[in-house]
Amino acid sequence: MSNRTTTAASERVAPLGAIGGSSLRVPLTLVAVAIVFVVGAVAPTRFAGDFALRLGNEGLLLGMLALSVAFLMNQAGLVALGAASIYGGSGLLFAIAMNDWNLTPMVALCVAFLIIVVYATVLGALIVRTNPLAFMMLTLAAGEMISHAVMLEALRDYTGGADGLVVSFKGTVFGMEAADFASPARFWVVMWVAAWLSGLALWAVGRSRLGAILRAVRENEERMRFSGFDTYLPRLIAYVLVNIVAAVAGLLHVLNAGFVSPESLGISVSTNSLVAALMGGIAGSVGPLLGGVIFSFAQDEFGARGLTQLLTGIAIVVFIVVFPRGVVGGLSSMAWLRKLGGRREAS
Amino acid sequence: MLKIENLSVSYGSVRALSDVDLEVLGDGILHGVIGPNGAGKSTLLDAVCGRRRPVAGTVHYRNEDITRRSVAWRRRQGMARSFQRTSVFQDLTVHEQLYLVAQHLGDNRLDDVIEVMDLAGYLHQKAGRIAYGVQRRVDVALALIGRPHLLLLDEPGAGLSAAETLHLFEHLRDLVRERKIAAVVVEHDVDAVFACCGKVTVLDLGRHLATGTPQEIRADHRVVAAYLGTAA
Repeated sequence: MSNRTTTAASERVAPLGAIGGSSLRVPLTLVAVAIVFVVGAVAPTRFAGDFALRLGNEGLLLGMLALSVAFLMNQAGLVALGAASIYGGSGLLFAIAMNDWNLTPMVALCVAFLIIVVYATVLGALIVRTNPLAFMMLTLAAGEMISHAVMLEALRDYTGGADGLVVSFKGTVFGMEAADFASPARFWVVMWVAAWLSGLALWAVGRSRLGAILRAVRENEERMRFSGFDTYLPRLIAYVLVNIVAAVAGLLHVLNAGFVSPESLGISVSTNSLVAALMGGIAGSVGPLLGGVIFSFAQDEFGARGLTQLLTGIAIVVFIVVFPRGVVGGLSSMAWLRKLGGRREAS
Repeated sequence: MLKIENLSVSYGSVRALSDVDLEVLGDGILHGVIGPNGAGKSTLLDAVCGRRRPVAGTVHYRNEDITRRSVAWRRRQGMARSFQRTSVFQDLTVHEQLYLVAQHLGDNRLDDVIEVMDLAGYLHQKAGRIAYGVQRRVDVALALIGRPHLLLLDEPGAGLSAAETLHLFEHLRDLVRERKIAAVVVEHDVDAVFACCGKVTVLDLGRHLATGTPQEIRADHRVVAAYLGTAA
C-alpha cells in the first residue's frame, strides 16, 4: 500500500458538486442565463395582455409549488401530497394576521411565514423518518386535516369558512402597494424574480453537499447510516426548505389575489402541483416552473371548451407517455441525441 | 478491540444466536467466521454493528459497552461494515460515493483506499454499471474509508470466483496486517478463510462451536462433524 497521504484522487476528478465544463463555457452560460432573465422579466409586460399575464402569474405560482414538490421527489425520493396546506395555509395566516390581529402588512407577512415554517418543521420532524409511501400518506392526511379544520364552524370567524377571507392592506410590502400586486404586469416581474430565486436556491442546494447526501440517502439509506451519516436531519432540512418555497408562493398568491379561499388548501392544488412537476420534469428547477405555466395555460384552454377534466386527463397521459422525464428532460435528451448524431457523422 | 458476551439474537420466536462469546483483538489478524447456512454468522455481524438489537448479552468495543449505540455512531467510532449483498450507491460514480463518505469521516487519504482496492480505473463510472466483482471492491472500499479500527465483512467473496475471492482475501489480509486493525470476516469459502485468516470461529445453529487457528479448527472433530466433513 502506498504511503502517500496526498489527495491525488481528488485532483484526478472534480469534487462532488463542482461545476464542470471549460472556463469559457461557464461565463457564456452565465451571460445567456442573464439575458433570458432580463428578457423574461420585461418582454411579457410589453407584449402580452393582462389575461395572458394573469395566466402566466398563476402558472409561475403553481410552478413554484411544483418546484417544491419536484425537489423533494428528485433529491429525497419523497412525494408530498400536502403542499397545498402550506401554500394556502400561509396565505390564510397572513389574512388572519391582517384582519384579526391588526398587524401591519410586513409584520403579518413575517408572522404568517414563521408560523407556517414552524408547522412544517414540526410536521417534518414527525414524518420524514417514515418510508416514502407512509410519508406520502401522512402528508396527504395532514393536508386534509388542515383543509377541513379551516372549514370548521367553530373557526369560521377566523378562517371565513367556505367563503374564504378578503385581504386588503394599506401601506407597502417590500415597497409595493396592494394595487401593484394586483396589477398583472407588475406582479409578473415579482413572480418572475421569485421563481428564479426559488429555482436558483433549490438548484444550488441540489448541487451542494446536502444535495449529494440527500440523493445518496434516497438511493441507499442503510449504506449511508453504515457510512456514519445521520439520515434524518438532511431529509428534515429538505422538507423545511421546500415548504419555505411553498409558503412564499402562498404569500405571493394572496398578495396578488387579495383573497384566500379554502380551495387553495385543498388536495386539488397539491395534485395539480404534482402533475405540473411531472409534466415539466422533476430533475431540475426549470422543469417544474415550466410545467406550472403549461398547466395554467392548458387549464384555461380546456376550460374554454368545457372539457377541463377530460382534456387534462388526456394531456397528462400523453405528456407522461411522450415525455416520461418531463418536457425539459425530453428536450434535453433530444438535444443530446442530436449532438451525438452530429459527432458520429463528423467522425 | 471487540468483546461479545452471552450474545443472543432472535427473529420473532426463532433464536438465531444463543449465548455467543467472542473476542477479537486488534492485532492485525483476519478473524474468520464460518459455519453452515443458518449458523448465525451474518446475524452476529448485524448485532455487532447495530443493525439488529440483541435480546440478551453485550457488545464491548474498545472497552465501551456499545450494545445500545446507533449504527451511525458506531461507524463514526471506527467500526465499519460491508454487506453480503453489495450495498453501494448505484447511481453515483465510484469517486462520488467514496469522496462523499471520505469527506464526512474527515479522511483525506482516499488515494490509499482507491489504490488498495484497485479502483483507479473505475472512478468515473457509475457503480451500477460496473462489474459485480468491482462493485464488491467498492463496497469494501466504503468500509475502509475513515481508517476504521474494526472491519466487519459479510461474505466479501459472494458472487466472485474462487480465484477472485482468494485474491480479495489476500488484499484484506495484507491491509489488516499493515494497519494493525481488527477484522471479522464471514465467508463460505473455507479455503480462502483457512489461507488468509489467523483465527477462525465456527458457529453452528446459532451457537459458538470453536475458535482457534486454522490448523486447530481443521483438526477439531466437532467442526469436522458439524460443518467441514471431508471437504477440509
